[in-house]
Amino acid sequence: MLLMVGIAANAQSGSIGLTARLGYNIGAYAPLSIPATITSIDAFHLTPSPQVGVDIAIPLSNQWGVASGLRFENKAMDVAITAKGYHMVMSRGGEGLEGLFTGHVVQHSTGWMLSLPVYATFDPCPKLRLKAGPFASLLVKKEFSGIASDGYIREGGATGPKITIGSTSDTWATYDFSADMRGFQWGVAIGADWQVLPKIGIYLDMSMGLRGIFPADFTAVEQTLYPIYGTLGVFYRL
Amino acid sequence: MKHWKLWLIAPMMAACVTLLSGCTKETAKNTECDMLSTWVEGKQYEQYFFSASGMRVDNISSTTTEITFIVKSMENLPEQLPVYFTVTTGASISPASGSMQNFKNGPVTYTVTSESGENSRQYTVVFRQLEITTGNTLLYSFEGVDSVTKSSCQYHVFYETGISGERNYIWASGNEGVTLIHSNWTPSKFPTRSTNDGHQGKGVCLTTQDAGAMGRMMHKPIAAGNLFIGSFNVDQVLINPLKCTRFGTPVNKEPVKVSGYYKYQPGEVFTDANMNTIEGRTDEASIYAIFFRNQNESGENFSLYGDDFTTSPYIVKIGQVASLPPTDEWTRFELTLEGNAPDAEALANFGYSMTLVFSSSKSGDTFEGAIGSTLLIDEVEVTFKQEQ
Repeated sequence: MLLMVGIAANAQSGSIGLTARLGYNIGAYAPLSIPATITSIDAFHLTPSPQVGVDIAIPLSNQWGVASGLRFENKAMDVAITAKGYHMVMSRGGEGLEGLFTGHVVQHSTGWMLSLPVYATFDPCPKLRLKAGPFASLLVKKEFSGIASDGYIREGGATGPKITIGSTSDTWATYDFSADMRGFQWGVAIGADWQVLPKIGIYLDMSMGLRGIFPADFTAVEQTLYPIYGTLGVFYRL
Repeated sequence: MKHWKLWLIAPMMAACVTLLSGCTKETAKNTECDMLSTWVEGKQYEQYFFSASGMRVDNISSTTTEITFIVKSMENLPEQLPVYFTVTTGASISPASGSMQNFKNGPVTYTVTSESGENSRQYTVVFRQLEITTGNTLLYSFEGVDSVTKSSCQYHVFYETGISGERNYIWASGNEGVTLIHSNWTPSKFPTRSTNDGHQGKGVCLTTQDAGAMGRMMHKPIAAGNLFIGSFNVDQVLINPLKCTRFGTPVNKEPVKVSGYYKYQPGEVFTDANMNTIEGRTDEASIYAIFFRNQNESGENFSLYGDDFTTSPYIVKIGQVASLPPTDEWTRFELTLEGNAPDAEALANFGYSMTLVFSSSKSGDTFEGAIGSTLLIDEVEVTFKQEQ
């Protein structure tokens, strides 16, 4: 809709610009506040999470405009945490062990997605463009799995049977909620494009998913997790 | 130019604060409330126990809610005894640890409350004297059956009735471990259950079962039906299942022979711990009787577990039924315990324990067997050595 307005408006103002982007996503599928049941974050590994895309920008006035585009990108997270009484479900084939886990969790999540942002743009000076607006992502590949080790799970709750979880592959517990992940994410994003050379520049975007990555009735993970990512990259004006 | 910077920076800061907010969070209060160990303190009380080790119960499992102290005589027990406890860090216990309580009239209930205050568990502490076996034989007919409910499942447990009518839950099985991987199972689905088609009245039916996707994930793809004298502690079921089965009950007589009736049919496909089919191998059942010293050299309590129940140096006598050929008719089996003679004084003071172990798959402890193998057991009789 905005785009259509933009194209219509374009008849009156400047020319449409096309931009190719190559960036790197860094962030997390994270709860809005880290619960007390996660006692420490022990490791946070960088993931191979590129972003490639093409934007179309339509100026509406000297400084204002609209932009949109299509991106193919990856948002992933590799994190190790220590939990105490963290609610979780270890499951396989429809059978599960549900309870409160105390110990180490190594969590791997990744989502390959096609994203469509729609921005309002503002150029405070010729070399800088600020952007803000909603985005939507369609996931084409998703994974959310992990290993719980070196601790124990209290089945059903804090007073349930205490099942010791070991530190080797045949004594630790794994979980995989890839299939439960939502295939569609949306949220808001802000960003800045800084034109360094006539056709080349760098950009920094921040995106905040406003929809949990799991459906509301999914209870195996204690918190609602949102994709919160920053993107650093270079663009080229076509 | 200044105002746009704030516009950009403020949300970024907000996001960073969100990500880092965990670092400043207070540690949550402990929500657990377990009794970990308990003991009677005071030299003057040693005379009431068979040994100093009998005054302590350590490593209380997470599913235990009844703690038993074995005493020589309930009649001679003092009116008041101080029992001490350790509980989960931060938790409290009421009545207080070390407070004087009367155990002569039955169990005393203690409540452990978590540091967070939101959870509590009740424990009963009971003092009991062991039943002295006076006859030369002991018959287990498996008529005493209870259904217990755990984690949405219901399964059978077997008990023997004591002289004053009390239920002694000397029999244990791995059923509790099975409840962890299934929901809403009824007794008939469990590897260990009661059957109405016993040799006389009720009997025991043991079936080797598929442990499901969870079991395969943990490299424990089958669950053999088992029944043994002892207790099952589910805590280590994932990391060391052989430590879950703790064998034996104290006896004051020396077992020499065990007999009874069985039926057996092996399952069709024999598989290993990785669920690979082993061609040409047929499953077999097993029946053991083991008589062992229940204290080590330092006078501490000793128990046989699944990992050493045929090899431990504390075993004094052991017997196994040589073969249990498949049969659909109730067939008599018999085994003789071979080994050394026990020390008479230690025996009189319940310094030895006995266990009987039945399994529908002989190698079920290493997760090898055939799903569907079924062993039925009934009217098991232990013959003790006649006194001179």
